[in-house]
Amino acid sequence: MNLFDKNMSENTIKFQRKLWENPWGYAESFFIGFGLMLTGFFLEVFAGSEHIVTVSYPYNIFILFGYILVLFVLYKKFADKQLIRWLTKVPASISSIVLITILVMFMGIIPQVPSTNNLINNLGLNRITTNWAFLLILFQFLTCLGLISIKRILQFKWSNFGFILNHVGLFLALTAGMLGTGDLQRLSINLYEEKPSWIATDAQNNQLELPFAFYLKDFVIEEYAPKLALIDNSTGSISQNKGNNLYLVEKDETYFFNNFEVTVEDYLPNAIRFGMRYEPVNEIGAPPAAFISVKNIENDSIQKGWISSGSFRYSYESLKINDAYSMVMTIPEAKKFSSDIDILTKEGERISTVLEVNKPFKFRGYKIYQLSYDDKMGKWSNLSVLELVKDPWLPLIYLGIFMMIAGAIYMFWMGNKITKNE
Amino acid sequence: MTWIDFPFYSSITGFLWVLGLIFLVVSYKKQTLIKIAHLLFLLGWAMLITFVVKLWIELDRPPMRTLGETRLWYATFLPLIGFITYIRWKYKWFLAYSILMAAMFLAINYLNPETYSKTLMPALQSPWFIPHVLVYLFSYAVLAASSIVAIKGWYDSYKGNFNIETLKLADNLVYIGFAFLTLGLLFGALWAKEAWGHYWTWDPKEVWAFLTWMGYLIYIHYRHFHNHKTKQALTILALAFVVLLVCWFGVNYLPVANTSVHTYTN
Repeated sequence: MNLFDKNMSENTIKFQRKLWENPWGYAESFFIGFGLMLTGFFLEVFAGSEHIVTVSYPYNIFILFGYILVLFVLYKKFADKQLIRWLTKVPASISSIVLITILVMFMGIIPQVPSTNNLINNLGLNRITTNWAFLLILFQFLTCLGLISIKRILQFKWSNFGFILNHVGLFLALTAGMLGTGDLQRLSINLYEEKPSWIATDAQNNQLELPFAFYLKDFVIEEYAPKLALIDNSTGSISQNKGNNLYLVEKDETYFFNNFEVTVEDYLPNAIRFGMRYEPVNEIGAPPAAFISVKNIENDSIQKGWISSGSFRYSYESLKINDAYSMVMTIPEAKKFSSDIDILTKEGERISTVLEVNKPFKFRGYKIYQLSYDDKMGKWSNLSVLELVKDPWLPLIYLGIFMMIAGAIYMFWMGNKITKNE
Repeated sequence: MTWIDFPFYSSITGFLWVLGLIFLVVSYKKQTLIKIAHLLFLLGWAMLITFVVKLWIELDRPPMRTLGETRLWYATFLPLIGFITYIRWKYKWFLAYSILMAAMFLAINYLNPETYSKTLMPALQSPWFIPHVLVYLFSYAVLAASSIVAIKGWYDSYKGNFNIETLKLADNLVYIGFAFLTLGLLFGALWAKEAWGHYWTWDPKEVWAFLTWMGYLIYIHYRHFHNHKTKQALTILALAFVVLLVCWFGVNYLPVANTSVHTYTN
């Protein structure tokens, strides 16, 4: 990329320009950007990220309005200043986008967990989202974005409509998302069947008393049928189809595995072994079992036997079909899990609802999610874990997101016609 | 088990579509044949929709719980986006592409009957799943096309007969593709909020999707203001596509992969 490149007008004749001469171009932009980044890394090494405090209500509101006001005043009163002119031009935007991209690329390559590498730890490359370098560049980016948005809003034209939707939408979504983290509350709570619970735990493992209680009436898991798999006796790993697309066990179905023809003669969703065979029972921890017959196509020999996926209570059972292979049954996967709950308020109200993955329930500013359960117990779990999320900034973030969606549709429809006509 | 009817319906649909594609190709020579191609596409599509409606009624739930069922939806909606794009932009190859992709999904289902019942984990059973994947599918296709145009641009300028119209075509494709990319990213965010409680968690796939988005953002801004710097623009476009490929295929091989919700290997 040619760094000593003039700014906007491409049609003008090239002229030599000194660094920091008016107006600033790419060289100055990247110079400033790298300066910010170095300052950030310097702060990381000598001050660390632990000092970064998240602001919460009402200070984040003040900051949001203060920031927008400052941007407005800067644009209105200081637009003739070198710095402000630079911030509203493309080189400043592109340099900040490029530098953010580089920093996020670190995040995309280096796992964001405590590292054994000192360089990564000291520079904070394993905590990019709270890294000073990232925050400083992001601040420059948002300032450019904010100033440009204000400029286009004040010079409103219908042809700028898509531009404003995209830029203001992104500005809102980003600033509200960042400032909102101080007010974001994510709690998890363990519910046990037929017991009331009101003590939740936050991300730092602090216990918190909720202003209402949950009563878990019933926790239900619907499961898919278990799957059949051919495993290698020596390694214990699945040896057909590279482990993909296993067959669901179904009575009277026949499946082919390499040289074996497997027929499911009987399938019992809940069964335990009595002597030579499995019998259906209605008992906690009774795993699925199937009676299969395996025919070796090469020599027509047939083997029959019971297999079972096992559970937390009973061990699994496989059928060895020759020295190399065995047939097993996988542990059934959850199809759907849901909690039938009552919410009890201090005022004596009782609200009944059913929570399910992808179907959260809104209650008093919280969104309540079905999070997980005791996966060792599987469908016999009487523990249901819920998550409560309070995100008062969400409407503003969604406003930004929906503006961007509208902007994207506008963009699809208009294409780059605007540039074409210029 | 109305999937039993699937081979019947899908083969009729497939037949009509292939016939339509042939007419579409011939219509480059003889303009009027395009109408016949449209008619065949629409008939095939109607057949497919009949099947989806029947399946939905018989299952008594939206068919969205298995891999086979999601493929069925891709095949149903791809022609729709293809037609909208065609009506707006008149790119015939794009219509052909969308029909071909849809037919491919039908063929995958036809050849792998066991995927009818391949299980889908609860978090994926969401109305956002289909639109999220579909718009990404489209976006990648259009952006890949823009890269092909860019390669042509490189080749032409190497030969010394570069035409600015080539870059303008690339621009338009990037605009369309970027619009879909934005939609995919945002649909993903809205879905994540419903399923996992937060709209953005810097999951590795999210990180690379964001990087892809930034790459094309750089291209768009650069092009908008430096209309005549064609070499640099083509370089940026090539780099952005490399990032896209990392996002699409490469993430699973990076050291960050095991923390991702987007890897579905057992």
